[in-house]
Amino acid sequence: MSAPETQTRGQRLFGWLDQRYDLSPVVEFIEHKEVPVGGHPMVWYYLGGTTLFFFLVQIASGVLLLMYYQAGEATSYESIRYITTKVPFGWLVRSVHCWSAHLMILSLMFHMLSTMMLKAYRKPRELTWVTGFLLFAVALGFGFSGYLLPWNELAFFATSVGTDSMKAVPVVGQWLLEVLRGGPDVTINTLYRFFALHVVVLPITAIALLGVHLLFIQRQGMAPAMAHQKESRPGIRFFPDFMLRDVLLWLVCLILLSGLVFLLPYGPGIPGVEWELGKKANPLAPAYPGIKPEWYFLWIYQLLKEFPAHLFGLEGPQAAVGVVGVLMAAWALVPFLDRRAAREQPSPMFTDLGVGALLFIAYLTLKAWDIGGLAKGETGLPDPRATSWACAWIVLAIGVVVTAFRAVVQKHRWFILSGAAIVQAVLNGLLGMDYLLAGAIVVVLAAVAIAVILRRPAPAAAGGTT
Amino acid sequence: MSSLVFALVLSPVLAADPAETGAPAAQAAPAAAPAAQGALPPQVEELFKEKGKDGQPILTDSDRAAVTKLPSHILATVAKKIDAGTLGGANHLHILLSLDLSPQTAELVFSDNCVLCHSDPEAQGKSRLFSPDPKASGSPAHLNLKSMLSDAHFRHGLMCSGCHGGSPDDEVMGGAIKERWPAKDERQKDRGWVVGFCGKCHGDPSFMRGFNPSLPTDQVAKYKESQHGILLLQKHDSKAAQCVSCHGVHGIQGPKNRLSNVHPQQIPFTCGKCHADSQYMAGYTREDGSPLPTNQLELYQTSVHGKALLEKGDLGAPACNDCHGNHAAMPPQVASIAQVCRTCHAQNGILFDGSKHKKAYEAHKWPECGQCHGEHGIQKTSDLMISDSADGLCGNCHAKFAGNNTQCNQVARYFRGSIMELADGDAHLGGDIEHLAERGLDIEKLGAAKGELDEALVQARSRIHAFDQGEFDVAAKPGREALAKANTLVADAHSEYGFRRNGVLASIGIMGFLAVMLAFKVRELNARRKK
Repeated sequence: MSAPETQTRGQRLFGWLDQRYDLSPVVEFIEHKEVPVGGHPMVWYYLGGTTLFFFLVQIASGVLLLMYYQAGEATSYESIRYITTKVPFGWLVRSVHCWSAHLMILSLMFHMLSTMMLKAYRKPRELTWVTGFLLFAVALGFGFSGYLLPWNELAFFATSVGTDSMKAVPVVGQWLLEVLRGGPDVTINTLYRFFALHVVVLPITAIALLGVHLLFIQRQGMAPAMAHQKESRPGIRFFPDFMLRDVLLWLVCLILLSGLVFLLPYGPGIPGVEWELGKKANPLAPAYPGIKPEWYFLWIYQLLKEFPAHLFGLEGPQAAVGVVGVLMAAWALVPFLDRRAAREQPSPMFTDLGVGALLFIAYLTLKAWDIGGLAKGETGLPDPRATSWACAWIVLAIGVVVTAFRAVVQKHRWFILSGAAIVQAVLNGLLGMDYLLAGAIVVVLAAVAIAVILRRPAPAAAGGTT
Repeated sequence: MSSLVFALVLSPVLAADPAETGAPAAQAAPAAAPAAQGALPPQVEELFKEKGKDGQPILTDSDRAAVTKLPSHILATVAKKIDAGTLGGANHLHILLSLDLSPQTAELVFSDNCVLCHSDPEAQGKSRLFSPDPKASGSPAHLNLKSMLSDAHFRHGLMCSGCHGGSPDDEVMGGAIKERWPAKDERQKDRGWVVGFCGKCHGDPSFMRGFNPSLPTDQVAKYKESQHGILLLQKHDSKAAQCVSCHGVHGIQGPKNRLSNVHPQQIPFTCGKCHADSQYMAGYTREDGSPLPTNQLELYQTSVHGKALLEKGDLGAPACNDCHGNHAAMPPQVASIAQVCRTCHAQNGILFDGSKHKKAYEAHKWPECGQCHGEHGIQKTSDLMISDSADGLCGNCHAKFAGNNTQCNQVARYFRGSIMELADGDAHLGGDIEHLAERGLDIEKLGAAKGELDEALVQARSRIHAFDQGEFDVAAKPGREALAKANTLVADAHSEYGFRRNGVLASIGIMGFLAVMLAFKVRELNARRKK
């Protein structure tokens, strides 16, 4: 009877709640939850958190924008203008929403890449990877649908070009295009459905997926380093040790966001990373050259350009979309393909796959930005030859530095896929070979090299330590 | 059932090519009908068999395509002309078809014996042969078959015989051809007859109504009043320009055609053909007896008007004829120069009319606008022109003629100072707006204020022509107000930017402080854990 008298007010409140909701197991769980330490830098554990932080910023700023935004032919552009010029701190909210969107995708990409490099997807966390991949797809959907909402010229044409590539999907392409656009062309109907997607369908999907993703992580804990990397060190407590670090990083992200929003309210001005309102969309105006999608779609945009009009009886864009589909599917199924990691054995091929994918995407993205070709065009348009030349040098330089770092510092010995990406860039950019031909050559070479290595006795084959 | 499927499968094949599938003639009939339409008269088919020296047919597949497109009545005319021998042979037909004739032109060409005979290289010597490429064939330049067939007269059905006499049906050139024109020596000696000859139609409203009802018919009356007309018709100076000097002979085009000699962008060069030729113009003088200059074209090309017309393609900019007149071309007199300028620059003219300068200019018999702006070489005006010192326009004249009137000098300085204040303010504002827009500030009101300032600046520059401070201030005052308003808005925007900066810095400061505190806490937890 005397116990309640010695309890603090907080303890009494907890007791009251615990009686009703049985909170003790939850507290127990939190108190004993640990984050594994050792094997690789802790920094990789924070990227999911920062992505979540930017997602929360998106929800908060999105709700604020929604208080003034009015979707409609005569109101979309006007309401965004009103938000940025008349609404108190409206400029801040819109700029935060735009910056945070890009930072969220950037953080998500690094999060995914780190999971790839550390093999955190391996058994038993395959479904965490798959839900993560789906969240990535949803994030891209957010970017694509949100881009049209200001109903300005740039958004209108970029959406026309972006949705047009849907036609390339075999069999149902035209149907898909019309479903997406709400008709054969981009009209205000497209805006209405993009708006519905952006503020209702995608948020519900994202929150549901995120819930499952986080539930998996809570159930299984964060992935420890692989058996061969592990150092026997005790983990740190999630609460409050790791939690406080997380909050600290979120604060740093918020400081970074504030600085960017203040210094560059309309983005850095790079094609695909800018959101100046410009002119209102005019469906009757002719599209101007140089319309580019957002930066994370640029590699697909460039890949479409690299394909000829027809290839092996397929239409060029169809073949390109097919290639993107196969690459994406392979990426989504990595946990099931990587059998060695599932057995806690070193899996250098998949480490190299991550580096190779990064170099492959980097080369295409740089080319899409016309890096190095802007000044040399004879017709006033960027010169594709000069662009390929400069981009290949950049990729070669990055590739050499990364490979040297991996070889010397990380003692990696498996470079076939990253090497293939570098060789393709060199063949296309420096030797002027057709991009697809260069691709076919390196795919064959890589396949032969992998076949040879797999046939050799196991210890020599493994080589790498990751 | 199976036969129905077979028929359905086979039916497209049958429809595609009855000849190949061996279908009976009755089924093939619909396909045969266009072939009958495309059949050529036997005389024409004969020409397709003619071979050149290299053993190859002279008429090509594209000739066949061209001739097949011709309506049947024109084809019948072609056959008739082959029979009559006026269409000389395959080579002659090839030349005519290579001109890519429209059906209308083809109808005229194949029915006109003059064109047919004079375009047949086997029937005519070089000096009388109309050729698609006179340079290559050695014909005189005015016998260009291509430009002759596109001539405004020819296209309206006024063919060779319309000017030269005779009839398009004549198979030989009769005496009628010599009746219309004076004898060769006479017509070379005194070109005055040309005016009367063209004027016979172009001065007759009832005749012209039948061809081009909107074309004026007062050209001859005007020409008689022109300097060219006086020289030619009264002084019998055949060097003076008459109709063909500007419009050409064969290949005359209306002024809207870019290839025409009288298209606005061509006029300076058409006039310059004589007026920029110092040898040709030697001996011609102005009213005061001084030689007529020949640098007008050169000056015009550097002028604001010349650049607008010839470089920017602004067809509203004046060419020679817009100030001097077309058919009634004359140098404008002192009294009329200002009126000529006023046709476009009306407001400046009205302001000048009410100014003190008006009387002074009349007393000195100075041309109004030309006195300050020049004539053929008028340059874009500059704010620096307004100055009471020796380098400005005002200073020079006033020193000589106005006894350096201090009040005038003061007004000139006021104009200059005010205009420069507004212009400098406007230029700065442009930079400010760009700068503020990049920083995400609202520039809508600022843009509107700049618009007001721009308009006021245009008005103020124009109102200088009243040479009156009060009149000038009607425009300058709203300009100053707009500038002041814009400067206030810029200051407001800067203070808003300052507020944002301070807000962001304060937030970053607070967040930074929190972050540091957190970092300490994390370190403390770390240390505790290690213990």
